[in-house]
Amino acid sequence: METERVTEHEKPAASATEPTPPPPAGNSRRGQGNPAGPPGASPAGSGGPAGPLGPLGHDAVGRPRPEAADEHAPQPQPQSQSQVQAQAQPSGQSSSGSVTPMASSSPLPEGAGQRDPAEGERAERERRGGDRLRFVGAATRRIARGVDLDETVLGLCRASVPAYADAILVYLRDPLPVGDERPTGPVVLRLRRSDRIPEYPQFTQTQTQPQIPEARATAPDDPAAGALGAVPMLPLLGAAGAGQDAGRAVAGAAGGQGQSGPAASELAEVRPGGPLAEVLRGVRPVFADSPAASAALPELLGPGRDVPGGHRAVLAPLRGRRRVIGAAVFLRRPDRPAFEPDDLLIAAQLATHTALGVDKAVLYGREAYIADELQRTMLPDELPQPTGVQLASRYLPAAETARVGGDWYDAIPLPGSRVALVVGDVMGHSMTSAAIMGQLRTTAQTLAGLDLPPQEVLHHLDEQAQRLGSDRMATCLYAVYDPVAHRIVVANAGHPPPVMLHRGGRAEVLRIPAGAPIGVGGVDFEAVELDAPAGATLLLYTDGLVESRQRDVWTGIEHLRERLAATARLTRPGAAAPLEPLCDEVLDILGPGDRDDDIALLAARFDGIAPSDVAYWFLDPRAQTAGQARRLARRALARWDLEELTEPVELLVSEIVTNAVRYAERPITLRLLRTDTLRCEVGDDVPQLPRLRQARATDEGGRGLYLVNRLARRWGATRLSTGKVVWFELGLP
Amino acid sequence: MSGSDGHGAYHGAYGAFDRASIDRSGQAEAFDAIGDRYDEAFPHKEGQLAAGQWLADLLPPGSRVLDVGCGTGLPSARQLADAGHRVTGIDVSPAMLKLCHDNVPEGEFLRVDMADLESSGLGPFDGAVAFFSLLMLPRVEIPFALRMLHEQIRDDGPLALAMVEADVDDFSIPFLGNTIRVSGYLRDDLRRIVSEAGFEIASEDAYAYAPASTDVPPEIQLFLHCRRRP
Repeated sequence: METERVTEHEKPAASATEPTPPPPAGNSRRGQGNPAGPPGASPAGSGGPAGPLGPLGHDAVGRPRPEAADEHAPQPQPQSQSQVQAQAQPSGQSSSGSVTPMASSSPLPEGAGQRDPAEGERAERERRGGDRLRFVGAATRRIARGVDLDETVLGLCRASVPAYADAILVYLRDPLPVGDERPTGPVVLRLRRSDRIPEYPQFTQTQTQPQIPEARATAPDDPAAGALGAVPMLPLLGAAGAGQDAGRAVAGAAGGQGQSGPAASELAEVRPGGPLAEVLRGVRPVFADSPAASAALPELLGPGRDVPGGHRAVLAPLRGRRRVIGAAVFLRRPDRPAFEPDDLLIAAQLATHTALGVDKAVLYGREAYIADELQRTMLPDELPQPTGVQLASRYLPAAETARVGGDWYDAIPLPGSRVALVVGDVMGHSMTSAAIMGQLRTTAQTLAGLDLPPQEVLHHLDEQAQRLGSDRMATCLYAVYDPVAHRIVVANAGHPPPVMLHRGGRAEVLRIPAGAPIGVGGVDFEAVELDAPAGATLLLYTDGLVESRQRDVWTGIEHLRERLAATARLTRPGAAAPLEPLCDEVLDILGPGDRDDDIALLAARFDGIAPSDVAYWFLDPRAQTAGQARRLARRALARWDLEELTEPVELLVSEIVTNAVRYAERPITLRLLRTDTLRCEVGDDVPQLPRLRQARATDEGGRGLYLVNRLARRWGATRLSTGKVVWFELGLP
Repeated sequence: MSGSDGHGAYHGAYGAFDRASIDRSGQAEAFDAIGDRYDEAFPHKEGQLAAGQWLADLLPPGSRVLDVGCGTGLPSARQLADAGHRVTGIDVSPAMLKLCHDNVPEGEFLRVDMADLESSGLGPFDGAVAFFSLLMLPRVEIPFALRMLHEQIRDDGPLALAMVEADVDDFSIPFLGNTIRVSGYLRDDLRRIVSEAGFEIASEDAYAYAPASTDVPPEIQLFLHCRRRP
């Protein structure tokens, strides 16, 4: 399976099995007059003297380390043919038998010349032109395949080394300009990645199989690498001193790791108007020994870094859609044929595709980042801490950052110490999903604030979703917990059912009518009222927790239920498992490959509020109501041994009730609640909220809210669908 | 309404009450619809049981006890029957009466409006309980109902009365998926009208009670243990 996928993707260099596009006329013309050194185009596995650089093109040979070692893209990894072969071997170890060591193959530059000299030259030119085309086609595909920045740069390196060059340095601007942003500050190029072929056959063989991450970067420390200095064909970058330094220069900086003592500069600031700036502005690749480049390269690589002479180095600016975003340096060893003028065209192709790929990757990365940020900012910073219930939540983005989801959760305190619990999931995965999520969450919050029944909240959310647009589809579960009644009312819009973990350890998937998703329209929602006994835990979640490519949703829910029950068994009998660790336990049901989707999790532990801590009255709005309310409050405080609070509570209750009865037509409600604070709520049927306004010295009234504001620890007014609630809280003595 | 026929305007406690104003529409229907959900929403009736116990203990076994608004018969009619008393329950909801028959087969349960009790000939009784039934009346009628009970109880017989503390009159509230109209008094006012109707308040209890339903808000329940002033 693995091998097949690898083979499909394997196009490190042009191969004979690849469909060959008919060479356009212009291309064959370009091939003329270039008798030597087309880029690697040898049919893979032939091993014969197919072309001057054929064996170099035989990518497998020159690949000392597996790409998998330092590629981190989740897609199937392209691997070299030799690795494929090696994996197929029972020993899984040595591939040397099927591989032609590159060092031995390289001195075959003019093999073609041994053919029929008359016909041969023209045929050879055409063949090389075709080879170039095939190479460029394969190489640009390899580059374009990258989704993120590193993949794109890696694609360039893999495509060009060894088929086109023996070493490569890729510099990118730091920071990279994003989109149409106009960059400010000096242009700084940072060595993003470098690559080279190994110089030493044994090295090649010993490194054929390793799976060690960062093998590429650590290679110079390998004992085999110690022989580098003895290899005559380097330095490619003439670091002052031993060839091993040159090896470090290239290998050490690979992957932007910045190993000790890189010979090429990690950072280069482009002097405005300087030679490097000139070359970059010119966009076209230049030979290193050209007048322009010979001044520009020291600026890029740092002083004292010589490059191989005689057209063995190409400096290629990387220009994206709008501006230069970096530069690549292609290097060939002295024993290899020099670059030809046509190779500049190849360099230009590689550079263009790389630069556009980097542009794309930056934009894509930016989008993923923004979407992720968007998602996170639209989730609650922190959950409220209402009385009578403990809350915990988790949000996990999908494993692939680009797969932004539209999951959300919320907890909204309601009058009467009730709390609305919401979890939802916008269909689709995109920035749009995150944005829709934000809209729906806000809407749900607003509707919840009106204290509408759950089925009404979903109904209006559905209507609002349709007003927002035609594709605002989401699932949503909305529950209101009433800690005094020890009941919960739940309505569902197509969301997976919540799971209740009872105090005794029984876990139960709640039977809630599934309902139609939000955004479908025209379907009534149904609310179900259930017992919510103290000590029970309600778990709301999104389908990412229970559904994956490997698991259907109902299997996942059952899995979740079992996990909850198992977790409960581990805790002390009769005691409820601590909430935060419980959330972690629940998330543990996800296997490593299960994170296809984002996950929102909201857990509510029901503590309940004893009826004896609550006092509630309906009072007809009349002139004497404020006095009645004072007496009721005084009596309740006496019952709770809170006589110390009598004075401020009576004062505040009196003020608020006086306000309430002024315009109320139906009976007002007075509620007192004793928990770790004393809370008082006065409800009436007038939706207008009281405002804190400055009373004039001559005003009879208007000072009520100032009193409240001064005396209460917290206070507020909430508009409801049926009127409003004004509340305040005082600390207990 | 039928009770008004054949009875003079001067007869009984309700005699001075404007019977044309009596409007029970919706009340019985609501309880018919609620049925046994009523007991689910109102579990843990400690206060009611305590008041019933007080009355049951006060009377010699075999006493005739009236249960005004007997509902499902639980827990009070059952409790009184278990204590050896002869229970007569009245209610306006046929569904509730059916449940009551099932729960307390030995009792006598009749569909009689409070306003028609005097003319029904069921009384007099040795004692009466009225748990959360007078609150179904408009305020203006409650003193008449209390006087009627005063006339239906013998001597210094006991009356156990339960109300929800509130200051409302014939106020429509959502109730277990239905709407009912209720009235209430704050406890000082309740004491006063009970006293004015000819009862001595022997003791009282108040319970903070939270129905097991999000549809009914928590309430303060008042239990008055009264003795008829002869």
